[in-house]
Amino acid sequence: MWFGRRKLRLVLALSLLGSALSAQFALGKRKEKQTSAGQMDEQKRALHALNRLTFGPRPGDVERVKAMGVDQWIDQQLHPEKINDSPLDARLAPFRTLRMDTREIVENFPPPQLIKAVEQGKQSLPSDPVKRAVYQDQIERMQEKQDRKQEAANPDPATAADTSKKGKLTDEERARRREDRLYADLKAQDLLDMPPDERMKEILKMSPADRRALATSLKGTKRDEFLEGMTPQQRETLMALNNPQQVVAVELIQGKLLRASYSQRQLQEVMTDFWFNHFNVFIGKGADRYLITSYERDVIRPHAMGKFEDLLVATAQSPAMLFYLDNWLSVGPNSDVANGAPKNANKAWRKRYNQKNASTKQAKGKRSGLNENYGRELMELHTLGVNGGYTQNDVSEVARVFTGWTLKQPRQGGGFTFEDRMHEPGDKTVLGHRIKPGGEKEGLEVLHIFAHHPSTAKFVCTKLAMRFVSDNPPPALVDRMSQTFLKKDGDIREVLKIMFHSPEFWSADAYRAKVKTPLEFVVSALRASDADITDATPIARQLQALGMPLYGMQPPTGYSMKAEAWVNSSALLGRMNFALALTSGKMKGVQVASDRVLGASSPLPDPQQTLALLENNLLAGDVSRQTHDTIAAQLKDPKVSERRLDDPARPPNVAVISGLILGSPEFQRR
Amino acid sequence: MSLTRRVFLRNSALAVVGTAALPAFLKRAAFGAEQATNAKRLVVIFQRGAADGLNIVVPHGEQAYYAMRPSINIPRNAVLDLDGFFGLHPAMSAFEPLWKQRHLAIVHAAGSPDPTRSHFDAQDFMESGTPGVKATDDGWLNRALHAAPADNSAFRAIALGPSLPRILSGSEPAVAMNNINDFGVGGRSPSAAPIANTFEAMYAHSVDSVLHGTGQETFEAVKMLKSADPSKYTPAPGADYPGGRFADSLKQLAQLIKANLGVQVAFADIGGWDHHVNEGSTQGQIANILREFSQSLAAFWTDLGDLAEDTVVVTMSEFGRTARENGNRGTDHGHANVMFVMGGPVKGGKVYGRWPGLDQSQLYEGRDLALTTDFRQVLGEAVYRHLGNHALDQVFPGFNNQPGDFLKFLG
Repeated sequence: MWFGRRKLRLVLALSLLGSALSAQFALGKRKEKQTSAGQMDEQKRALHALNRLTFGPRPGDVERVKAMGVDQWIDQQLHPEKINDSPLDARLAPFRTLRMDTREIVENFPPPQLIKAVEQGKQSLPSDPVKRAVYQDQIERMQEKQDRKQEAANPDPATAADTSKKGKLTDEERARRREDRLYADLKAQDLLDMPPDERMKEILKMSPADRRALATSLKGTKRDEFLEGMTPQQRETLMALNNPQQVVAVELIQGKLLRASYSQRQLQEVMTDFWFNHFNVFIGKGADRYLITSYERDVIRPHAMGKFEDLLVATAQSPAMLFYLDNWLSVGPNSDVANGAPKNANKAWRKRYNQKNASTKQAKGKRSGLNENYGRELMELHTLGVNGGYTQNDVSEVARVFTGWTLKQPRQGGGFTFEDRMHEPGDKTVLGHRIKPGGEKEGLEVLHIFAHHPSTAKFVCTKLAMRFVSDNPPPALVDRMSQTFLKKDGDIREVLKIMFHSPEFWSADAYRAKVKTPLEFVVSALRASDADITDATPIARQLQALGMPLYGMQPPTGYSMKAEAWVNSSALLGRMNFALALTSGKMKGVQVASDRVLGASSPLPDPQQTLALLENNLLAGDVSRQTHDTIAAQLKDPKVSERRLDDPARPPNVAVISGLILGSPEFQRR
Repeated sequence: MSLTRRVFLRNSALAVVGTAALPAFLKRAAFGAEQATNAKRLVVIFQRGAADGLNIVVPHGEQAYYAMRPSINIPRNAVLDLDGFFGLHPAMSAFEPLWKQRHLAIVHAAGSPDPTRSHFDAQDFMESGTPGVKATDDGWLNRALHAAPADNSAFRAIALGPSLPRILSGSEPAVAMNNINDFGVGGRSPSAAPIANTFEAMYAHSVDSVLHGTGQETFEAVKMLKSADPSKYTPAPGADYPGGRFADSLKQLAQLIKANLGVQVAFADIGGWDHHVNEGSTQGQIANILREFSQSLAAFWTDLGDLAEDTVVVTMSEFGRTARENGNRGTDHGHANVMFVMGGPVKGGKVYGRWPGLDQSQLYEGRDLALTTDFRQVLGEAVYRHLGNHALDQVFPGFNNQPGDFLKFLG
């Protein structure tokens, strides 16, 4: 498989000789790249803009952008409201939770706390038969769990001899469960023979215990078979019967990947991803499991290209953030709640209380109830940056300012509220500004100061330039962006405009300077290969394996945008394997049609022509000589006869060649 | 194995057309002499999220501890007493035998002297080994290999997980491995080999310096792994790994070590320590994660068998947590913390370091456990004594690490 320089030349010559138009095009591009160092031609400009403003070009995008004019296309992307996105809307239509408010989500897909409330009779069962079934099954599940726990804690002395130290099942129980499973298997077979609608009706008629057994018996291909022919809503219900919360997470992930892959408003999606990462919240933390749907849809996306202060305030008041960074629990050390004042405490009471307790205040203050988590991350990660010039004292003061910013019944999907009784009274000092007592207004005042602070401008603009230009963006560019940020009241669109029209953005150094993150890599591969996604969950699993689970970054820092975080052995192999699985049809839930990748109805007989065509479609023709030669040589190597690609009896293997290109070094960059 | 590798290296060296300087990786491997594998290993564990050291190794002899933590303290009668003053959290019973056999030592009130309470910065500093200096672009565990006896193994430095952590980044090749079973291209079928070879050649020839280097290291590791076949090294009897990613990482690391792949330094991490709310005491969040943490490490120890004699494990976390509990039965970001050192050559069964006390006047900034041992002093001793790298001024630049000041937890 190793070859010397001579052979390389030979291969090059051969491929030139036998080249079709497209091959000439691909090689011609490489030549051009060498001659015009320092500036980009129109083809490159279009590719560069697509690489940076979108999740990667789709087939034909480069030509479309060129035809429209690069600058005009950028302008259009900066105004997403003017772009029709109805094909995407159709793809998102089956996922109901994406359109539900948090209260509806909680009601339809109840979290454990709600199930418990119903089980204990504090809340009644819903009357709707589908919802009712979901609740009943979860109550059944909860009771099973409790029974198991109890058995483990107090083993029956008669059967204790049979149970191991880990509280395993007794023989008798095992036999009963086996029987249940057997029965469930038979039942599943019966149900399969019915038309989908009947199947659904039958399932709703079953007892919760039987449904639980059925759900656990449905696995793998059997599950797929069972779901076939059902409407999205029926599938949703079946999933909800087993695990209601999972429905919310799964639909969120479907929405994210479908939008990234298919939205015409690509810049808006890129910016939504950017800001979500900047104001990161974690789906694994309690109530955030069902708060993120609204957070992304109502807090992040609408402000993605608006004013920074609006975005900042929206995140500060979002249930997702209040819960994630614990601010909803933060209590002022001298607030009514901390003092144990009655709910209707009036001024006179407070005066009496303060006089009476003045001496004991110090001791009581030790259990302050203050939680600094949000106050710190607000300055470090959301606004000023870690070297933005704040102190530990500022952290505590900001925490005091935001006491009372809390949630009404977060576990029932209640929203933001300002609770004066939790709010710390008195003056606060933040970054040297005196914040006068003003309840909720104090927080807004502090957010205003932060949103217009030079440190914030620099921190935010550096991050933007890191996303769009390079890992170490030129300071002069960041300065100009920061000035615009401060001058234009934190208008994100204006800052983006300055960046997209800067010489730094278009410099040769910036071209393919960014290594794709796993999300960028995976989605760009889906887009380049014109993949049809029918179920995005397997893709989400791939992202998890690549180290970037969607909504799954636990610390508030968000994911790194720098190459060093993503270039390593594990990740590279993962990317190569993903590329091969995708193009060879081994990714579940995704179809890649080879004629669509090829952009031709039937494979060309000559493997070299096929290669050139694929390079053109997947990498806009800009492939390095090394990569091209390596693949070209492989297509001729007798050692690969098992997969002999130039066998006249078999057309060249489009899947393998595409996989190799998507796994190549150049496809890892944008 | 070595023959194939040499042929591969010679050819790929030729193929790097137009590159004046050979990459360090090629130079080292192409011209380096075959050497016996250095048997000493250092395993570093990071508890990400700032573990609450005061509820891990509990100063149950301190009245102030109980006064400051009315709802989340570990009662005196519940701790696993170590020396009459300190005790382990009861969920860590898996550590007790190691302590009694004197394979486990503890350093309390240790950590980074930098005052930051930012997770990100503090982790960064502990991984770069240069608190307060952000410009350091490599990790101390990578630098620790500079002067250590050379070895060409692609597995010399390994991180378990989907990405290469800061601590191992640098000029010495290091491999990140999420799962040893799918560490390869195109699965295990022979038909995948030509495709894997094509990728290998593509990255070997690439002029993309970042991807080229990583690609080379990756494919070398893939080949070595294939020939060593670590999947045949199942956990030793009695090595009872719990569930979870951390246990899985250690189980796989044990496989790599037992497969004699030349592992010299290794890294694994475990997240989920940031307990601002409802930390729990003998039960609850902290108990659950400590159980997972201690059982995983104890199983790793058992699994290594005789190889544990040449292994030293050090644990660390970016900072400790406030001495007082906060208003949500949790703790906020603090300062000094506790470190565990485990291994064959460790003089265990002892809590090292000076205890600063928990009285108000003794607290750091009036709120946190004060620091009496710099983490670099602990790590320096492991690098110097165990790995045999005496150039500590290069591993921890800017820190005066005198062997005479070591805590002497290594024999």
